[in-house]
Amino acid sequence: MRYAKVHAEDVQPGDPMPPLVKPPIQQIQLTRYAGASGDFNPIHQDDAFARAAGMGGVFAHGMLSMGFVAQSVTDWVGVGRIRKISARFAALVRLGDVITCRGTVLEKRPAKSGHDHDVDLELWAENQKGEKVVTGRATVTLPSRG
Amino acid sequence: MAIGVNMDVKGKEYAPFVVTVERGKIKEFARAIGDLSPFYLDDAVGRASEWGDIIAPPTFPTTFRDEHADTGAMLKDLGVDISRILHGEQEFEHHKPIRPGETYLCQSRITDIYEKTGRSGPMAFVVREMAVVDGDNEIVCLVRQITVVRL
Repeated sequence: MRYAKVHAEDVQPGDPMPPLVKPPIQQIQLTRYAGASGDFNPIHQDDAFARAAGMGGVFAHGMLSMGFVAQSVTDWVGVGRIRKISARFAALVRLGDVITCRGTVLEKRPAKSGHDHDVDLELWAENQKGEKVVTGRATVTLPSRG
Repeated sequence: MAIGVNMDVKGKEYAPFVVTVERGKIKEFARAIGDLSPFYLDDAVGRASEWGDIIAPPTFPTTFRDEHADTGAMLKDLGVDISRILHGEQEFEHHKPIRPGETYLCQSRITDIYEKTGRSGPMAFVVREMAVVDGDNEIVCLVRQITVVRL
């Protein structure tokens, strides 16, 4: 038996994923993410620039929110299990927003190799008003107990 | 005045570029997201893991950039200012873990450009794909990205 945080037998379609609540978005986090990712678009740093661009002020990198969504999956099933993850950026994330990442199990099927199972997840992130800011999908490979 | 995008960029393949993954960069990236998993941050935990070292978070390939093949280069080709773009969609297909010290070859291609009118007016959608391969020429990660241009 291989170690896993979650085994294939533990999940069924319709199961909710444990939610991940992130701390409020702060400008310093956007600056840090710019440095870490290499995305220095001033629209995430410079409020005057973002207003002049018609965006009403700075907003978070979509990829930061996708990082949160990916974390919500790895926090649950463990790192190194995500085969595929996709995100659609549905609404802007603003300073002060509190992002909660959620998901449900869509489908489970035997993986191509061994005793593993591929599990499809529906994922989303919402702000403190309950508005979806990211919608997405992931496929994770989970080992079986047997 | 409405702006346009240079549709001739559709199909453009960018020159391949090389990245070598730095251990500190993985940790900096995980910390910036606020993901403090020891499998990203603790070398001893990584050494004892099934991968024999720390690995990178799932969205880490977004850091694989090159000034001749990045969003800046693409915007120049499209004739679009950076203030006009939004991130529409993103996808990562992982085939192998991304490890510190590894050198990867990355190649990007603009696979599609199409225009649509949404709630906030006319927009162009630019679809870009990047393949990340290792020294054995095996696929490590496929990255798909849609950039939205507010026209």
